[in-house]
Amino acid sequence: MAAQDLQRREMLRIMATAAAASKFPGFAKWAFICAHDASPVERVRPESYQPLFFSPSEYAMVERLTELIIPSDTTPGAKEAGVAEFVDFMVAHDTEQQYPMRLGISWLNAHCERLLGKTFMALSEAQQLSVLQPLAYKSKYREGEEDGRKFFSATKELTVVGFYTTEIGYKEIDNPALKFYAKSPACPHTNDPEHKHLPPPKW
Amino acid sequence: MPKQIYDVIVIGSGAGGGMAIKTLCEAGLKVCCINAGRRLDPAKDFRNHRKPWQMKFRGFGDPAKRSESVGYMDSEWVPGVWEHEIRYTTAPGTEWTWPRCWAVGGKTNFWGRSSARFGDIDFRAASLDGYDVDWPLTYSEIAPYYSRVERMIGVSSSVQNRPSNPDGEYLPPFSFRCLDHILQKGAEKIGVPYLHDRIAQLTVDHAGHPACHYCGACTTGCDTGSFFSTPWRFLPLAEGTKNLELRTDALAKNILVDENGIANGVAYLDRKTKQEVEVYGRAVIVAATNVETARIWLNSKSRHWPAGIANSSGQLGRNLCDHLYGESAYGYLPQLLGQPSFPDSVGDNTIVWMPRWQNLKDPHEEKFIRGYSVYPGGGCGEYPWYATRAEGFGSSYKREVKRRYPTPVSFTIQAPTLRMDSNFVDIDPEVKDAYGIPCARIHFQWDENALKMWEHSKQVCADLLRAAGGEVEGSGDSPNVPGWSLHDTGTCRMGHDPKKFVTNAFGQAHEVPNLYACDASVFLNCTDKTTTISIMAFTLRSCEHLLEKFRRGDLKRA
Repeated sequence: MAAQDLQRREMLRIMATAAAASKFPGFAKWAFICAHDASPVERVRPESYQPLFFSPSEYAMVERLTELIIPSDTTPGAKEAGVAEFVDFMVAHDTEQQYPMRLGISWLNAHCERLLGKTFMALSEAQQLSVLQPLAYKSKYREGEEDGRKFFSATKELTVVGFYTTEIGYKEIDNPALKFYAKSPACPHTNDPEHKHLPPPKW
Repeated sequence: MPKQIYDVIVIGSGAGGGMAIKTLCEAGLKVCCINAGRRLDPAKDFRNHRKPWQMKFRGFGDPAKRSESVGYMDSEWVPGVWEHEIRYTTAPGTEWTWPRCWAVGGKTNFWGRSSARFGDIDFRAASLDGYDVDWPLTYSEIAPYYSRVERMIGVSSSVQNRPSNPDGEYLPPFSFRCLDHILQKGAEKIGVPYLHDRIAQLTVDHAGHPACHYCGACTTGCDTGSFFSTPWRFLPLAEGTKNLELRTDALAKNILVDENGIANGVAYLDRKTKQEVEVYGRAVIVAATNVETARIWLNSKSRHWPAGIANSSGQLGRNLCDHLYGESAYGYLPQLLGQPSFPDSVGDNTIVWMPRWQNLKDPHEEKFIRGYSVYPGGGCGEYPWYATRAEGFGSSYKREVKRRYPTPVSFTIQAPTLRMDSNFVDIDPEVKDAYGIPCARIHFQWDENALKMWEHSKQVCADLLRAAGGEVEGSGDSPNVPGWSLHDTGTCRMGHDPKKFVTNAFGQAHEVPNLYACDASVFLNCTDKTTTISIMAFTLRSCEHLLEKFRRGDLKRA
């Protein structure tokens, strides 16, 4: 046994499972929640996705939010990875998340109308960012936006989990689990055990 | 038709049961192994090379089934192998989370593989610090059995010359990762050991199985048998002798006794037909895990054994010990910020450990007695954990996740509890499982000594991380819920005095000479080491003790 505790703990928090399950050492997988469905499902993305839970206008907002959270920049982002579909799929299967997500979407629209006179999707990208930043950065928090912060953080967590559990997400961080290894991988810097003279950060 | 009688009935097929069926079948005895779950097919049941995006719920499982989960390993990677149907209960005030795998091979299918030997510092702990009693054997008596087990299963490590953590016969160790070199320097600075773990995972081909392919998915089962499990290693050997009958979905209920109160079989529930079945044998080995072995023995009441079989001492089910687990510290290594990713998780992180360093010279040098070990881990895992901690969103956030990916580290304590009168297993007077068998009930609290170790470890691990140039970000708020380690011990403790111990130094019931416990139930406590390899070594010794009885004619072949 040993520790991959942090990631497990974080993942569990996200998925809101029992706190008790959060700290068991020794497992590189972050999956904890039982699934008794034995049939493997390889999800193939359809040409046009029919949301399972969200209405078309809600889904468009979810899609937009995921793309702002993990943008497509020098590398692919949430859009290419189909993250909005994952968010919809998980929320569709998670009754506890459904009401808060729906409520959050209406909150955000009402909030945008109050501040800028338009619903979220009618705003320019700069305006959308100006609304979201106070929900995402502690230093920019504003009073009375607690519900919005909760919604943003739930959406962000689903987005991030949805992104980094795709092949595109694995490639983004060059996840070493994409390969097998012929022998026990060894640190290449043994002449510098304290790792004080590494090449400059790659990114 | 005369009823069939086996030489030995073995309950369970995990570390103890697996070793028992192999040893006894190879010696020519006719063995019937009763196993509470089904047989797994690695090709179908282990999905360990599947990636999250190839799973319906990305590996998380259906949120609707969340409340039924027994936790971590109960996942989409190994669906349906963890026990849900058979209940256990807890006394008021006791928390006990206890994931049980009852498939053939039990938890050896998915175990953590850490395989350190117990040493005299463990066996003679009571003589050293005055608490409790010594084990009824010394290290020199059990050491040869450890060696034989290590040769059978293949354990990778290095020679470390620490009598508290005796060296065994090892395959080449896993290589240190970047984070290990960095943390080892920190450990050196504060004067604590940072060494290769003893890990039952092959770094070279061994016992007919290929070396590890370093996929990092060990705890969802190995598709190449590159770490020890009964189904990959011992079951084929036992079945090859044609001396084994394996009965699956057979839930042991109680030990049957003859007119003299001596074991002559086992009653079990066939989970498919729901019928009770009896199977007869000259001897019975119970290897059902610490708590379940106690349950079976306590439920074996008869005219001779009103308080459960072989329980005149009243010690059956008592003396429950467990490993306190918890996250002593976590943080990150700024040295590795923005560095290319590295396969840190290939051994599922069971690469290094910090074996007990406390109370070695003087048993009372710390505020607690005995000692604990720590497992450090971290680096590039399957998921970039920093993604859910980093503030903000957008391109800068995405880049920060990537920069932080190789940097996280964390330390997990493994601390033994002390034997307490208040920690034990009994039979719930009210609750029965789905087959009408009275349930085991757990009574357990962390003891003060273990909690002192927990506090101590938080300080040391934070110091180490800082000394290594790392940033400390926190520690677990509290230790994990008891039961989680799956290293509980003590319900059938071994000792010389039949008035105080259920079993003797061979795991043989004092009062029922043809009944053995071959799991962690015979251990006096759980030490700072894991239990699996010791279960195998002690079982090998118990089985040879039993074989000698057949050889001498004390027991007649069926």
